Amino acid sequence: MTRPTDNLDVTRRQFLSRMSIGLGTMALGSLASGGRSITTEEGERILGAARHFAPRARRIIYLFQSGGPSQLDLFDYKPKLEELNGQELPETIRRGQRLTGMSGNQSSLPLAGAQFKWKRHGECGAWVSELLPETARIVDRLCFIHSMNTDAINHDPAITFFQTGSEIAGRPSTGSWISYGLGSENENLPSFIVLVTKNKGGQPLYSRLWGSGFLDSRYQGVQLRAGRDPVLYLTDPEGISRSRRRRMLDHLRGLDELQHERESDPGISARIAQYEMAYRMQMSVPETTDISDEPDSTFELYGEDARTPGTYAANCLLARRLAERDVRFVQLYHQGWDQHGGLPANIRIQARETDRASAALVRDLDQRGLLEDTLVIWGGEFGRTNYSQGALTTNDYGRDHHPRCFTMWLAGGGTRPGTRYGTTDELGYNITGNPVHVHDLNATLLHIMGIDHKRLTFPHQGRDFRLTDVHGEVIHDLLA
Amino acid sequence: MFVKTSPTATGPLILRLDLFLPILLLFPSGEVSAQSPDYQATIRPLLSRSCFQCHGPDAAARKAGLRLDLGFAPDTIAEDLVIPGDPEGSLLFQRISALDPEDRMPPEEAPHQLTPDEIDQIGLWIRNGADWSRHWSFEPPRRIPAPEVSETDWCIDELDRFILHQLEQEGLAPSGQATPELLLRRVCLDLTGLPPSVEMLDTHAPEQGADWYERAVDRLLETDAYGERMAVHWMELARYADTHGYQTDVHRPTWPWRDWVIKAFNENLPYDQFITWQLAGDLLPDAGREQRLATAFNRLHRQTNEGGSIEEEFRVEYVADRVATYGTVMLGLTTECARCHDHKFDPMSQVEYYRLFAYFDDIDESGLYSHFTNATPTPALSLSTPEQDQRLQAVESGLRTIESRLMERDHTGLDAFEAWIADPPSSFEIPGLLGAYDFESIADGRLENDAAPENPGALSGAPSLTDGVRGNGLHMSGDDNAHFPGVGEFDRNTPFTISLSLRINEAAERNVILHRSRAWTDAGSQGYQLLLEEGRASWSLVHFWPGNAISIRTTEPLPSGQWVQVTVTSDGSSRAEGLSISVDGERAEIEIVRDGLTRAITGGGPGAMTIGQRFRDRGFRNGDVDELRVFDRCLTRLEIRHLFDGVALESARLEDPDALLPYFLATVDDTYGKDLHELRTLRSERASILDGTTEIMTMSELPTPRTSHVLERGRYDLRGEQVPPGVPDAIMPLPESARTDRLGLARWTTDPNHPLTARVAVNRLWQIVFGTGIVPTSEDFGSQGAHPSHPDLLDMLALDFIESGWDVKAMMRRLVLSATYRQASNTTPGHRTIDPGNRLLSHGPSRRLTAEMLRDQALAASGLLVDRVGGPSVHPHQPSGLWQEKSGQVYPKGSGDALYRRSLYTFWKRTSPPPAMIILDAGKRNVCITRRSSTNTPLQALVLLNDPQFVEAARVLAERASEDGGTTPREQILFAFRGLTGRHPSREETDLLMALYETERDSLTPTEALALSETGDAPRREGLDPTHVAAMTIVCSTILNSDASVMKR
Repeated sequence: MTRPTDNLDVTRRQFLSRMSIGLGTMALGSLASGGRSITTEEGERILGAARHFAPRARRIIYLFQSGGPSQLDLFDYKPKLEELNGQELPETIRRGQRLTGMSGNQSSLPLAGAQFKWKRHGECGAWVSELLPETARIVDRLCFIHSMNTDAINHDPAITFFQTGSEIAGRPSTGSWISYGLGSENENLPSFIVLVTKNKGGQPLYSRLWGSGFLDSRYQGVQLRAGRDPVLYLTDPEGISRSRRRRMLDHLRGLDELQHERESDPGISARIAQYEMAYRMQMSVPETTDISDEPDSTFELYGEDARTPGTYAANCLLARRLAERDVRFVQLYHQGWDQHGGLPANIRIQARETDRASAALVRDLDQRGLLEDTLVIWGGEFGRTNYSQGALTTNDYGRDHHPRCFTMWLAGGGTRPGTRYGTTDELGYNITGNPVHVHDLNATLLHIMGIDHKRLTFPHQGRDFRLTDVHGEVIHDLLA
Repeated sequence: MFVKTSPTATGPLILRLDLFLPILLLFPSGEVSAQSPDYQATIRPLLSRSCFQCHGPDAAARKAGLRLDLGFAPDTIAEDLVIPGDPEGSLLFQRISALDPEDRMPPEEAPHQLTPDEIDQIGLWIRNGADWSRHWSFEPPRRIPAPEVSETDWCIDELDRFILHQLEQEGLAPSGQATPELLLRRVCLDLTGLPPSVEMLDTHAPEQGADWYERAVDRLLETDAYGERMAVHWMELARYADTHGYQTDVHRPTWPWRDWVIKAFNENLPYDQFITWQLAGDLLPDAGREQRLATAFNRLHRQTNEGGSIEEEFRVEYVADRVATYGTVMLGLTTECARCHDHKFDPMSQVEYYRLFAYFDDIDESGLYSHFTNATPTPALSLSTPEQDQRLQAVESGLRTIESRLMERDHTGLDAFEAWIADPPSSFEIPGLLGAYDFESIADGRLENDAAPENPGALSGAPSLTDGVRGNGLHMSGDDNAHFPGVGEFDRNTPFTISLSLRINEAAERNVILHRSRAWTDAGSQGYQLLLEEGRASWSLVHFWPGNAISIRTTEPLPSGQWVQVTVTSDGSSRAEGLSISVDGERAEIEIVRDGLTRAITGGGPGAMTIGQRFRDRGFRNGDVDELRVFDRCLTRLEIRHLFDGVALESARLEDPDALLPYFLATVDDTYGKDLHELRTLRSERASILDGTTEIMTMSELPTPRTSHVLERGRYDLRGEQVPPGVPDAIMPLPESARTDRLGLARWTTDPNHPLTARVAVNRLWQIVFGTGIVPTSEDFGSQGAHPSHPDLLDMLALDFIESGWDVKAMMRRLVLSATYRQASNTTPGHRTIDPGNRLLSHGPSRRLTAEMLRDQALAASGLLVDRVGGPSVHPHQPSGLWQEKSGQVYPKGSGDALYRRSLYTFWKRTSPPPAMIILDAGKRNVCITRRSSTNTPLQALVLLNDPQFVEAARVLAERASEDGGTTPREQILFAFRGLTGRHPSREETDLLMALYETERDSLTPTEALALSETGDAPRREGLDPTHVAAMTIVCSTILNSDASVMKR
């Protein structure tokens, strides 16, 4: 039946209490009623999904490298490309595939080898270029996917596709789906938190990337921002001390209880509970973002950048603190990987900003015993072309968007460490083995969270929507 | 196959009772139950959910040839599929109840299994005769007399009888009347989105007479605020925003459409016209500006300008968005399913989808908006002011006078010409030469200009010298260019001529030969350009391609492998007939590609006239050029011939002196020269007026309709069969005589016999008033939509709506005057058990105020609200840095009145919408939505407690209460409480707030008090004690956060 039946709070809590993973409440705010009713069927479906597998991870930290990092200069080593540097991209390789309007009209598409030094690292022997020395040191803890591919060729559709499973705006983001499916393990923090590197520039971001689409707004990502108000409107106005706020809330509760006598609406008690949760958040969020209790060793690990709020390093550190507090889904964004021109110089900057902290996060989680049930994901919305956009010179080149193959890495969360999965051709243009589509990755990460991606659905506009649309295969080879 | 002749062809099905689920025992054979499940309400939704995926409208996905969505007429189904009265004998029932997983339907892996209870229901339905009918919403509404009820006195409107009837059936009595105070607040919020003013509270109460409530309603319906409130809902349906969306998300001024919507609601434009104008106002006979403006509805989708995007991919996306929005808003149907394949649940084939698509595919638009200019994407409507119109008229009339005078001179024999030709000059000059480049040598990367040595050409990349038409020429790679700063910077009013010799060495689909612009299609840039398209020369002046440009193209390709001289001219008229292309001195035969240029071609930043290459476009790969000439005149034919052969003017003098008349007029005759000068002055004046008008994207039919195709799998580049415009036949066929354009679609949609339009509209009005529609899924009236709670009531309202002339105000009035609406919203636990979601309307509507209402209420109560209607969107306070951290743009926070306008005027940036509104569940304005969720989260608490907008409102309300509310704090508290909640506080409430006031007053330090009493931008009222104001601010904020203020009761 699609007809709404019982109210949300009771039904949901009932079935959640039966769920195999021990979790307290649904996504932040779901203690409340006053929300939309869910159907029993819907509830059972979620229950079934979450119960379907034993989860490998309880939380995800997604290090999104916005703009599309060049796999050919970081992870996907192609000596042949260096050898053929300057030669025309052969049609046997391109096979008429579409290019963007940015390089599609170039008279020449010269192959561009990476101008960086490469070495194999770790026991697994993964190739990592000199740009990422710290990442290179942890390769045995990483699971590389060299055969990622996507449908979209422009930033907006591609990043939207990655984060919501659709190129069209209006669908819930991965973090929202997971909040909706699994709820929160920490009543005092949002279950889906977003961290954006400050003052980065580059391809713009948009709040719908962490939006809840057609799911309730309670499932949308909450941005933690550097500055006075880590969460929007978190800080009380000047003149309102904690004790004053407490007194005010007590009187507010008094008013609402009087109202309850008139209206006998259970929604009133639900709202009182939300105000209490807000009050607690006002403590718990600053306590989380205040890194003054971190020892110096932390900054030796993450780098001194981590002391400056809003840097990528500070956000990685924050992500660890959020993981410690059982925040379900932490989404980082770091812009600036869109190197159409001047790649050699610019990618160095990007690498310097992110390498150490990314690796530190994995190490740190590991040493704290959190890595085993935290999935860390590193990657961008697509890869970059093996030919130069614009002129190829002895020390400069650019690369256009390339959706056909690129590299991401996973760590922890029951993924198989020291893995190199998927292969590309010797010029790094096409996948030659074990392709992993965006839908496959999303299916896999839901699987890691114990969710059957085919069963985590939401009825909307007459049909059941899911993160993976009607696609996606769990890639079991990525799992330990 | 499940066909009549071989019903069990899917496999042997040996029926044994013990193979069925035990539920069969619930209804032993022969016993007919009195309570047969309703087919429409219960059975069809089950079949739709669990069976239609494989046995529904989608022909490609259909299994075993079995289709269940069309019903069970005996001659259309296998005879044993459903045997009325005999579930055990009916194959349908056998399969859904089979114990063997092999036989059982739906198959194990299907996502929507039938529960035992549901199987039972289907069995019971068959047992009771298996009555069926077409899906209810595709049948026209029927008028069923209002049912009998026992408590007739309770009913005010006929609609109340439908509600009461069901309540009585469930054994429920309606709730009592809401208190006058609460009812007044409720109706004010529902009809105007604003709380009642204290004045209104005092003048509209039962003491003012029995009809106090009717009078209040009538008064509210006449306020401007009514239109504003209704517009909020419509703006959300129409995915209205102030920016384009997608990543760069540039500003687009669409507010004139929003203002039209407000006006239309306030003037009570009948709904059929309201939607006809929006769908097809441009096609109405004598369409005026308002009708055209209304069509902006179809252009409010997101648009991109991201570099490198494929134009057609996005254009198709926009058209699909129009279809989806039309389907959802007008028909209450989801159409997107049918974009890639036949609809899974509703009778809309993929072909029918693309027939609908064809209606919206008919405009001259681009899939990308301009990257480097702020040109309005075409088609666009100029919104000139009356003053501008007047000036334009004057200029146009002046232009006509001069043009006809020039024309006359062109054709009359002139004494001056006779005199001149009698004693002609010994040699002829072609005046107006600005640039003459022979490309003989490259010195320091410069190209010599013989006409103006101070303006040499320059090179980018490394074009090389090659053999030219005479001496040397330049060889182009396609990525290199030669450019000519200071020469060739022509606007659309300036006559000019450019001549160039070129040699094509390689056939190509497209070559950029020469242009003055910044970039091409992915940038929508402005300028002029000479291209080769499949070898044919094309010459254009562009403001925004394709809808605001003039363009001509030769009918024949240029010869390749040899030098050819191409001369192009523009006469400054902005008309395609004012362009010419000559090849080797002779006018080429051309076709007109575009003929509508109304705005500047010079935007888009610096860009010199360039040969051979353009940013992200295809250059003149492996081509040669030579002898470039640039004139700031439109050369006469003879001069162009002369440019080619060097002798034409002299030859004319000898052989046909009269042929020199145009040359004489254009270059010698003073009077003609003066007129030419004045012509250009007037054209510039016209241009400056037009460039100063604002524009808005609207719909405007292409002169020749585009051919639309089925797109296989929905992909823009997989064109299938060609399809004409049309509608899904199963809903209602299009009349034979129907027009094939959007107006035809609008006429079909608003046909009084249409089964959906009026129901969908009335249901949304019901939703506005009661919170939930009679059909709760107001976006989906199809098979997967929810069944109406009161189907007969919905039909009656729909029919009445049509008969009233689609009178929206009358319907709103009727709904809020009903007894159903006037009920109190408080309930008993008993009511809640039977009617948990209030779908039976056993009590009055209650709901959290919307994002807009919460802010507007706070502004209104404090007296801050600026109630001006319409105008450009404003930028009230929002936390700083939100735009910057995403896109580097800075939020231009407003000041003064801009901070206190109603929330519907708040600037809506799609990639970073107003955060408080989003936290409070406002729609996101990316795609059409018809209803919002209403959640309750701690983030909402933080907004109401701490958003400076709300703190400021509390502070100003505190000041206002202190001055206007009476002399004692108690009176002031009462004043503030009424302002926010519309009712008097009880004694306990006042006591509680007084206690809070006193504690805070006594504990605030002077610094704290000052800080609080200074919150926000509004100036402080002088002469008030800061400690008092601060304490009262805390009291006001407490009231503002309380249930009585946050909830509509």
